[in-house]
Amino acid sequence: MSDIITVKDLVEVYSDGTKAVDNISFNVQEGDFFGFLGPNGAGKSTTIKILTTLLRKTSGSVIVAGHDLDAEASEIRKIIGVQSQDTTVDGDLTGRENLMLQGHFQQLETSQIKARVAELMKLVELESAADKRARNYSGGMKKRLDLATALIHKPRLLFLDEPTTGLDPQSRTVIWNYLQKLNKEEGTTIFLTTQYLEEADRLCKRLAIIDFGKIVASGTPAELKRQIGADSIKVSLENCIKDKVHATELLKSMTGVTEVIETPAEECLTVYAKDGGTLIADIVRALDSSDIRLTSVTFSSPSLDDVFIRHTGRRIRAEELVKAPSRMFGGRR
Amino acid sequence: MTLFSDTRFIFVRYMRKLVRTPILLFFSLFQPILFLVLFTQLLTRLSNFPGILPPGVSYLEFATAGILLQNAFGSALQSGNSIVADIDSGFLQKMLVTPVSRPAILLGRLSSDAFRVVIQTAIILGLAYALGASVKTGIVGIIGIFFTLAFFGLAWSGISLALGMKTRSAETVFAIGGVLTFPLLFLSPALFPIDFLPTWVKDVSMFNPVSYAVNASRAFMINGYDWATILPAWGVIGLVALITLSATLYQFRKVVS
Repeated sequence: MSDIITVKDLVEVYSDGTKAVDNISFNVQEGDFFGFLGPNGAGKSTTIKILTTLLRKTSGSVIVAGHDLDAEASEIRKIIGVQSQDTTVDGDLTGRENLMLQGHFQQLETSQIKARVAELMKLVELESAADKRARNYSGGMKKRLDLATALIHKPRLLFLDEPTTGLDPQSRTVIWNYLQKLNKEEGTTIFLTTQYLEEADRLCKRLAIIDFGKIVASGTPAELKRQIGADSIKVSLENCIKDKVHATELLKSMTGVTEVIETPAEECLTVYAKDGGTLIADIVRALDSSDIRLTSVTFSSPSLDDVFIRHTGRRIRAEELVKAPSRMFGGRR
Repeated sequence: MTLFSDTRFIFVRYMRKLVRTPILLFFSLFQPILFLVLFTQLLTRLSNFPGILPPGVSYLEFATAGILLQNAFGSALQSGNSIVADIDSGFLQKMLVTPVSRPAILLGRLSSDAFRVVIQTAIILGLAYALGASVKTGIVGIIGIFFTLAFFGLAWSGISLALGMKTRSAETVFAIGGVLTFPLLFLSPALFPIDFLPTWVKDVSMFNPVSYAVNASRAFMINGYDWATILPAWGVIGLVALITLSATLYQFRKVVS
């Protein structure tokens, strides 16, 4: 299969000197379901903005579907569909009007658009609300309408920036099933960013993890998990701050343990080990005999969560959770 | 042609938004109507003093042209807000990732601004007529007034659009626009005859584009086809439009690229 996106040595430096994207290279094959993961501010959205012709790159080369980004941005716009992170439907227009307008932006014929709109409304289950103003839609309905607007022209390449953020589990499953069908049956290449690792695990055929503007890992979800090479045991301590140094030393000295890292958020330490299951009893005993009190021990086979923490030192959503309240009350502090 | 059809679709979008948010229309019409109905009442006696107003002209008839200008200011101000809203919501970006014609984004907005000024002008003129004012030049003159005000509205939309794209803040657009509106109206013959004004105001008003737009509209209303007033006025408005729309285009290019 041929590449639909080829990115080489891409750099984006903002006018204030921030290096948002630091010399990244990757490629996405036609028909791929590609996941682009990273903590907030890692460079995901910046990369998407460059690939979708919204932001001028500082240097590097980008080829999309055989078209050079610098020379043929207008050709690229014809084949891409984009759903941005913010839901961008016009609340003053009805769902149908939003879709019609988007079809016109894509230069389709009116009769063609009408047929496609009927099809899409059914698909995203908005038929009964088609002629109501989008202002009155629920969050999930708006998100579905937004997705439909990105699909109006049957794009060859679809960019989805956190398409299910804020959706209820049921709507999320509906969208997942649809995206998989779109990828499998219509051959649409999908480039997805998400904060939900289970979403990436379930949907994506290939992944890249970006952190501080650099790609730190890439491969299929299975490959990435295999690279971890070990099970993970999450250990919570009653007094994490006091005991973590001592506990880390103890755990590192145990046979079979390959790595011990501090884990943000609720757990204290994560222990990586081959055949971790057999080590649990030893861990409990070792810590107990050193008077370190445990509150819980959780065992798991490697997950994308572990992959993510290994490569970025952070949990993908912990930041989000910490950040959300400060954004809400930002002006008052 | 793409440019033409895209402009039309974007124009229709803005018109739909306008009629579906009647409160916006109400607010921008409220002030001019208040002036037309109440403020003119305060000064009806002005026509009792000979030599202030042109002979046979009521104050209402005289002030209508000025109030029409005030109205054009108000609706043009909201233009900048709409572009800020589209930038904030991401709708502008959503347009920009499609092959939609770039100039159409601006032309769709400007044509809807111009059309809106014409509609509001028609409402105010209708009300003025109901209150006893008439347009001396008749239907053709009314078209002349529409043209003058739509043209002026475009020039003024240029300021609010450029400000909106530069500052990305609806509040700033409103604040700056609001601060500019009344001084420009007061330092012109919008509400009082030019000979009635103090000399310094008269001198300043020579450099105020609003004076020219008011005089042209007023010519259609009460003097007839006074081309010696109308044509230079269109020239002045054209010059202002050239400057403000160039600024808009410059800011738009920065936003788009």
